[in-house]
Amino acid sequence: MKIPLIWLKDYIEINKTPKEIAASFTSLGLMLDKPIENGVLDLEHRMDRADWLSITGCARDLAAFENAKFKFPKVHKEKGKEPTKESSVEIKVECPDLVNRFNTRVFRNIQVQESPEWLKERLEAYGIPSINNIVDITNFVMVELGQPMHAQDTDKMEKPEIVIRRAKNDEIVKTLLGEEVKLDPDVFVLTQNDKATVIGGIVGGESTGVDLKTKNIVLDAGNYNQTSVRRNSRKLKIQNETVLRYDKYLNTELTQIAIERAVELILELAGGEYYENFDYYPKKKHIKPMTLRHKRIKVLSGMEIEPPKVRKILELLEYKILDEDKKGLTVEIPHFRTDVEVEDDLVADVLRINNYEKIPVTLISAAPPKEITKPVYKYEEKLRDVCAGLGLHEHITDPLVAKNDNDKKQVVLENSQSSEKNSLRYSVYQTLTPVIEMYRKQNIKKCGLFEIGKTFELNGKGENIENYLETRVLEVVYFEEGMSPYNTSLNIKRVLGRLLKDMGIQNYYFQVNIADNKTGKSSQSGNNDNNYENKSLIKQEELVLGELKYDSFTIFTQEMLKAETVNTRIKHDITASIFEDISLVVKVGSIIGETIKAIKDLNSSITEVYVIDEYQDKKLGENKKGVTLRIEIATDKSGAASVKEKILEVIEKNPDIEIRT
Amino acid sequence: MDIQNRVDEIHLKFNEDLKKTKLNGDFDNLFLKYFSKSSGITTLLLKELPKLSAEEKNKYGPVFNDLKATQKEAIEQAKILHEIEQVSNPLIDLTLPEKPAETGMLHPLTQVIREMNDFFRYYGFSVAEDREIETVEYNFRKLNLPEDHPATDLQDTLFVKQPDILLRTHTSSVESRILTNNKPPIRVVTPGKVYRNETANKSNSSFFHQYQGVVVDKGITMQNLKATIETFLKFLYNTDIKMRFRYKYYPEVSPGMGADIQCTFCSGSGCEVCRYRGWIEVLGSGMIHYNTLKMCGIDPEVYTGFAWGMGLDRLVMTKFGIPDIRRLYGGGMVYE
Repeated sequence: MKIPLIWLKDYIEINKTPKEIAASFTSLGLMLDKPIENGVLDLEHRMDRADWLSITGCARDLAAFENAKFKFPKVHKEKGKEPTKESSVEIKVECPDLVNRFNTRVFRNIQVQESPEWLKERLEAYGIPSINNIVDITNFVMVELGQPMHAQDTDKMEKPEIVIRRAKNDEIVKTLLGEEVKLDPDVFVLTQNDKATVIGGIVGGESTGVDLKTKNIVLDAGNYNQTSVRRNSRKLKIQNETVLRYDKYLNTELTQIAIERAVELILELAGGEYYENFDYYPKKKHIKPMTLRHKRIKVLSGMEIEPPKVRKILELLEYKILDEDKKGLTVEIPHFRTDVEVEDDLVADVLRINNYEKIPVTLISAAPPKEITKPVYKYEEKLRDVCAGLGLHEHITDPLVAKNDNDKKQVVLENSQSSEKNSLRYSVYQTLTPVIEMYRKQNIKKCGLFEIGKTFELNGKGENIENYLETRVLEVVYFEEGMSPYNTSLNIKRVLGRLLKDMGIQNYYFQVNIADNKTGKSSQSGNNDNNYENKSLIKQEELVLGELKYDSFTIFTQEMLKAETVNTRIKHDITASIFEDISLVVKVGSIIGETIKAIKDLNSSITEVYVIDEYQDKKLGENKKGVTLRIEIATDKSGAASVKEKILEVIEKNPDIEIRT
Repeated sequence: MDIQNRVDEIHLKFNEDLKKTKLNGDFDNLFLKYFSKSSGITTLLLKELPKLSAEEKNKYGPVFNDLKATQKEAIEQAKILHEIEQVSNPLIDLTLPEKPAETGMLHPLTQVIREMNDFFRYYGFSVAEDREIETVEYNFRKLNLPEDHPATDLQDTLFVKQPDILLRTHTSSVESRILTNNKPPIRVVTPGKVYRNETANKSNSSFFHQYQGVVVDKGITMQNLKATIETFLKFLYNTDIKMRFRYKYYPEVSPGMGADIQCTFCSGSGCEVCRYRGWIEVLGSGMIHYNTLKMCGIDPEVYTGFAWGMGLDRLVMTKFGIPDIRRLYGGGMVYE
């Protein structure tokens, strides 16, 4: 809201500097938004108070805050002449659901001319160009009181009537700016002989506009359905000073005050005679009284404010005191305060005018409640530390991505402004791998990156929130220039192994290319990922902990929480171990993870089982590879002596494995 | 062979071996060669002593022992000398810089969130998180924002399925879930991603991060809110900062409160950084709205509470000197 100081001072006597006035407005809830220029304060409007879209509304609060006198502008209370046949403009409202009040007056034999300097100066400081005295008065009153107004030349009307109805499909109105706007029945229009002249509550048309030749006018101040104006102005993409006010909550009473003010100014600046006319006002809106308990002020602020002071503040803000006792006051809310909903809003008014700076500062003294942090949050924090310890850098990437037409489960946005960001990611891999490019550009030849975030998918109908699955994942990607995918896969497995070990997870194994439908995690796939085919699940028993690709892995952090863990990496019984290396010939693509798990489970003397060599050789046969396992056996543990035979027995059970040595 | 000759020969051989070992540093092997229990050269010689005559024993006993002691000491001394030599190797130039060892780094945002979480944990807060795809109910309605309310304009919503499913526009949606699903007393902070329908530029991105706090209990007042924020801002910036509290409207609170810190660049006189206000707005807060508590199933006549929220991204950018929000999230920032 722009406040030209010269205009503000019409209603309040204040001897402060612009900067001090801006500071007071800021304390009140109207923060200075831009630097003060040419004596105009630009204050941030928070969309709540319709009266703060008027200079008097802002001045009233400032006067209360500064304990200064607030002068309401002069209004013309006397009624106009009784309407005559000649003067009368009939008002018919055919869409009563959209029009709450349509208040009109008629002026005859006025003199339309240039506005006086004081009027032009104020409007121009606000940012509205001066047109002529009548148009300027309607704009002036709108900014002064917050009620949009409108004047039409009755001599340009084909019939002495204004019919307000819903627009017809494809009906066209040429606006004051000369723009043709196509309408539909959601919008209502003011019509003349069934021709639309004004888009109701949004913008005037040019056909009945007031110009220097105009002698007779009909002046209106309407109050319309806020939702309708709001939705239609957005649909028509029309934003202006009228819409700005009509899409807030305005009270029907305001139309009368605005008319009285405009009458005063028209008679002063344009002369002529003025006539009463139709005031369409079928249902007066009743404002319920509200009670403010002194106790409530104490409950919210922790401090007591003397009852006379509370009363004074409310009166300065023009609340009418209906009743008062020891416990509190009952007030009538002023019509312009459509924002007041609950008793606490009155408390806010009292505290605000009393100045927030006066509220003492006291730390909470109650004992803290039980902790409700979800275990997964702490778990992910630990994962972050482990990843950083492994030399991986954390990045956070934008979950908004371009739509992938092949993915039927992708969550797509309905109103994104950008086709590059109109959907949610189904894997973190797709948003994290591009970061590697940044490292390559920096000539960094190897990097491991990780991100902890969510992936999204829609599983069923889009109307039901439960169908939108959000999966928490840790994604790790690895890159090293010139390294073959095979060697990269070994690196990534080492990182994964260390990570799982640090998280206390043992007995995990890899399962190649088998989608686990039970957990529904198979859809993590990401159909456009390059290495879709070569993927393995990371499992512990039947639990899917994540997915492994040659250059990356995904960990489902919620699932990890369910895994069996051992508490520590710390060994107390330091004993000698022997290594038993076993060479195997394995069918490519077979699941040896389960066999390794069975070996580990044999007895407690087996401390580690891992691959020390993996190779391909024509001699081994087609689709086969050599794998050398190293098994660490603690010699002092029971069962150590006979364990080798048992290991061989376990391996022999797997038909996909032959023992070479 | 004459015993003395053998002793001399062993001694000679030992000296040669010692010379070689001094070059390669393998003193353990040298020790084993002469003193291993089963096959050490000197050990074997010593084992012959019992077989000698009494006269020879008298003569060679001290010789053998002398040999053993001399050799052991020679190895020990050579070893120490060797270590000294190694450490003082002229190739070790402590003034030459080397490339630093590599470690992983946490994202600047994570670092800031952790600092804040640590602060609030100390004051008994839990950390809460929830859905990013939300319902209008939790994102707006329970926060006292009815359909078509003018204040809806404060946030441009990205819809997943109109009119009910959206990407949360603020972390207040977590607040309404927490208030709905928990009984007071409640003390939580909620860091998280939020989304707006905005075109990305230097300072705006369609997704960003907020940090929110919620307290509900019997007897919670604005004094507690002011104290919490004051303590927090002093922790976040420094203890010397000047703060200002003022009325500010937010639909989900009443009374609402804005908190500013005095601009540290111009000390309040007004500059480009503070857009000539002299103050920098750092967070929004207020007493949780009567209707919000009611809609979340908490009796507002028994309990009161406060909430505050702030954007994290600008803070992180300032702290780490990152000029463009897009760089912060995958668009041109690497760690060395």
